[in-house]
Amino acid sequence: MKALAALAGAAFTVAACYSLGAILAARLGARLRRDEKFPLAFILGAALLHLAIFAVLAAHIAYKPVLLALLAGCVAAAVVTGDWRLPAPMSGQTPLPRPIHYLFCAIAGAFTVLYLFNAWAPEISPDGSSYHLSLVALYMRSHGFKPVVTEVYSTLSAGVDMLFVPAFAIGRHSAAALTHFAFLIALALAVLSYGRRIGQPLAGAAAALLVYLSPVVGIDGTSAYNDVAVAAIVFSVFYWVQIWDSQREGQILIAIGLLAGYCYAAKYTAAVMLFYALGFVAWRTRRIGPAVVVAACALVMAAPWIVKDWIYIGNPLAPFANRYFQNPNIHVSFERNWTAYLRTYGMKNLWTLPLEVTVSGETTAGLLGPVFLAAPLALLALRFRNGRRLLVPCALILATYLGNVGTRFLIPSLPFIALAMALALEAAAPLLILLVAIHAVASWPAYLQKYTNAWALQGIPYKAALRIIPEERYLNDHFEYRWARMIEDHVPPGARVLVRTVVATAYTSRDVLVGYEGAFNEEMEDLLNVGWDPSSQPRKQWTYSFPERRMHRLRVIQTGTTKIPEGQWDVHEMRFFRAGVELPRLPEWRLQARPNPWGVQMAFDNSEATRWRSWETLHPGMSIEVDFGREQPVDQVRVELSDIDWTVRMRVETLDANRLWTPLPAREELHQKQSDGSVRRAAGYELHAHGVDYLLLKDADFGAKEIAADPASWGMTRLVYDSGASLYKVNPSEVKP
Amino acid sequence: MTLRLGLLGAMCGLLCGCGNLPEPYPPPAQRPFFAAPAEAVRILNMADADAERHFVQDISAELEGNTWRWAGKRPTIRLHPNSIQKLIYSIDFAIADSTFQQTGPVTLSLLVNDHLLGRTRYASPGRRRVEKPVPAEWLRANEDVTLAAEIDKLWTPPQQGGTPLGFILIALGLEEQSLEQPGVGRK
Repeated sequence: MKALAALAGAAFTVAACYSLGAILAARLGARLRRDEKFPLAFILGAALLHLAIFAVLAAHIAYKPVLLALLAGCVAAAVVTGDWRLPAPMSGQTPLPRPIHYLFCAIAGAFTVLYLFNAWAPEISPDGSSYHLSLVALYMRSHGFKPVVTEVYSTLSAGVDMLFVPAFAIGRHSAAALTHFAFLIALALAVLSYGRRIGQPLAGAAAALLVYLSPVVGIDGTSAYNDVAVAAIVFSVFYWVQIWDSQREGQILIAIGLLAGYCYAAKYTAAVMLFYALGFVAWRTRRIGPAVVVAACALVMAAPWIVKDWIYIGNPLAPFANRYFQNPNIHVSFERNWTAYLRTYGMKNLWTLPLEVTVSGETTAGLLGPVFLAAPLALLALRFRNGRRLLVPCALILATYLGNVGTRFLIPSLPFIALAMALALEAAAPLLILLVAIHAVASWPAYLQKYTNAWALQGIPYKAALRIIPEERYLNDHFEYRWARMIEDHVPPGARVLVRTVVATAYTSRDVLVGYEGAFNEEMEDLLNVGWDPSSQPRKQWTYSFPERRMHRLRVIQTGTTKIPEGQWDVHEMRFFRAGVELPRLPEWRLQARPNPWGVQMAFDNSEATRWRSWETLHPGMSIEVDFGREQPVDQVRVELSDIDWTVRMRVETLDANRLWTPLPAREELHQKQSDGSVRRAAGYELHAHGVDYLLLKDADFGAKEIAADPASWGMTRLVYDSGASLYKVNPSEVKP
Repeated sequence: MTLRLGLLGAMCGLLCGCGNLPEPYPPPAQRPFFAAPAEAVRILNMADADAERHFVQDISAELEGNTWRWAGKRPTIRLHPNSIQKLIYSIDFAIADSTFQQTGPVTLSLLVNDHLLGRTRYASPGRRRVEKPVPAEWLRANEDVTLAAEIDKLWTPPQQGGTPLGFILIALGLEEQSLEQPGVGRK
């Protein structure tokens, strides 16, 4: 029953997409050929359906009957209008020679069986079973969008994930993966059709197979990811642009604009296709009007995502540009560390990337297949007009790749590369066919495993797909799932769980905070770090003594620099004294910090576990400021820093009568200090105070060993240990002073 | 015109960014002080991250080979065990060849809260591990306990001003006597 539901969920969603696309294509006057109607209408309809589901979620009416009615309405409209039907086949097309036709069909058929059963099997892909589907599941539980400031991935545009919503409502996790698989089919068909459209069917068929058989395309396209869908959308922008160029039907610009906007809605990096579309249309018409139509339609698709992030996160471009759109939800340091990692994946020498993404794939999570070592052959296609037309959008898409060197980020450029390679080699047909055959062999799981351990399909899990092996048993072979079930079984509804690395959150309804996936999460994780890591504890005390001054406002300016990007300014406590007596912190005081103004109270809470952090690289000019609310005599400032803050230097200033900040002639001293109390218990107290009462730590996580050695010293109890991870509960009674 | 529009857009963007900044905050509720709790009964490895916090005297601040430290005349640590029943004094140490050549046989006295637990003479260099039950009456519940090991002869460096050295200390602490360890007291 689960297997059928999964198929039904995907099939119904795909049918609705096709229906909407077919209706719009007909209204736009696009003359689509029989073979290209399904892929182009499906992808165009996906753009429209995504917007409808966005509206449903925004209106908080995402109930299963509503979604079913939406899908049914789309299909019914296409049937009633007759737009559902495929056009009659066109005469005069050159067919492929029979032997090649049969060979290519056999290869495609074998891989389709492989892909279908993998997509149909219970979904446990890393990103699919975590953020892609956990957000979909959350939206379904909430019947609409919900601000999720503790999950940075929720800020990414999710135009493809919107289609997972109705599929998931009907057939749960596998239905989403099957929906993505439909994009893989559509992409291959679109490439095939494009070859036919330009009168080069062999090149089209070969290119379609080069894309379709690629190992990373196979595993990504059969998981609840979005890269293959993005590739399909990107290619369809190009395809519709070429159709418009041949028909010069103005209304087709609407489809181009919608799809270009859908590129942004599906993945930020794909937004470059809008520039391609605008540039091409403006170049061919020498007028601005048609480009404005494209831009306006694109905005319809992209704007909802921009507005959503602006409202929920305070940053329309989240999770990027946080330095410019400062917000309390995403730290600048996170963005810097994250993007820095994505640019290298830890690789020291990026010149090895071509070999890595084509043959190995173990570092960049997937491989294109060894035949793509021949990708430079695509440049030979520059000799042809059709080749040049392909390589322009290809270059644009490739330009975004160095921002994330994961292999799957090459998928959107793959159709262009494959078509250009095939065009270049079409004159040497046997060589092209041999290339496809080699690609098929090298991509089949049994052979693939002989030369790489990269992320790729492992076989045909037909028993799991048909649920002959129960879903629970299949999923239980994966630690990420077991940890998610551990949380589901031991944590009450509504409670928050802090974890340091990813678990299959799509399989738990609890609020799981992954350590690095949000500013709040990072602050909770930081409490743990301060508890176990002596270098993060308040062991440095800088004292600034000066002749007593009456002052209204005082600030401490950071003047040091660091060569280490991770270096921050960490202020555990800032205290003010007069004649050796600390000034009590009065309610009329007003505290400010730059940057990270939202965390300033952590430097004034008297806790040994909390600290205000700059959450961006240490640089001169950072400051913490206090307005005493009245004239206040002060003769000493003490600033407690983390032990690791070696390069921090500070200066104390006061606002003088002319409202200018004036440095105080302070004598500075540095003392090492030891904690008198229990930092760990203070950390437990803060976790509880912030509503985080559960903690799941894998054995290899930072701090796991220290907490496991003595959970009571943190005010915690270990509830359960399973599959290399411990689940702890913070005991409110034990974190009382 | 395009430049002006661009500038206007950029200014709007920056203004929107600035608009997120909050008003200044008042001081938050002051957090309570959490007294250091009793620790679980433990053996303090010299490589432990918090080892130095427990040192009282005569243990080098330098960790050697990621595992051991030089001890002086009477290396002493302070622990705060959460139990005082059926505890075992445990020390893992070594007498270095280089120091033994000068000092000859040495005697090591083991002390708990300044009570002499045992005294042993070592006539050869090498690594040793000693475990001895601690009489419960020497300890008081919820109070610190000091553990020490005193060597009778120190190695004196040939050059003036060098630090005299006792022995190599790897671990020192307490452990709970399990049911399988009735006859603890091995050397």
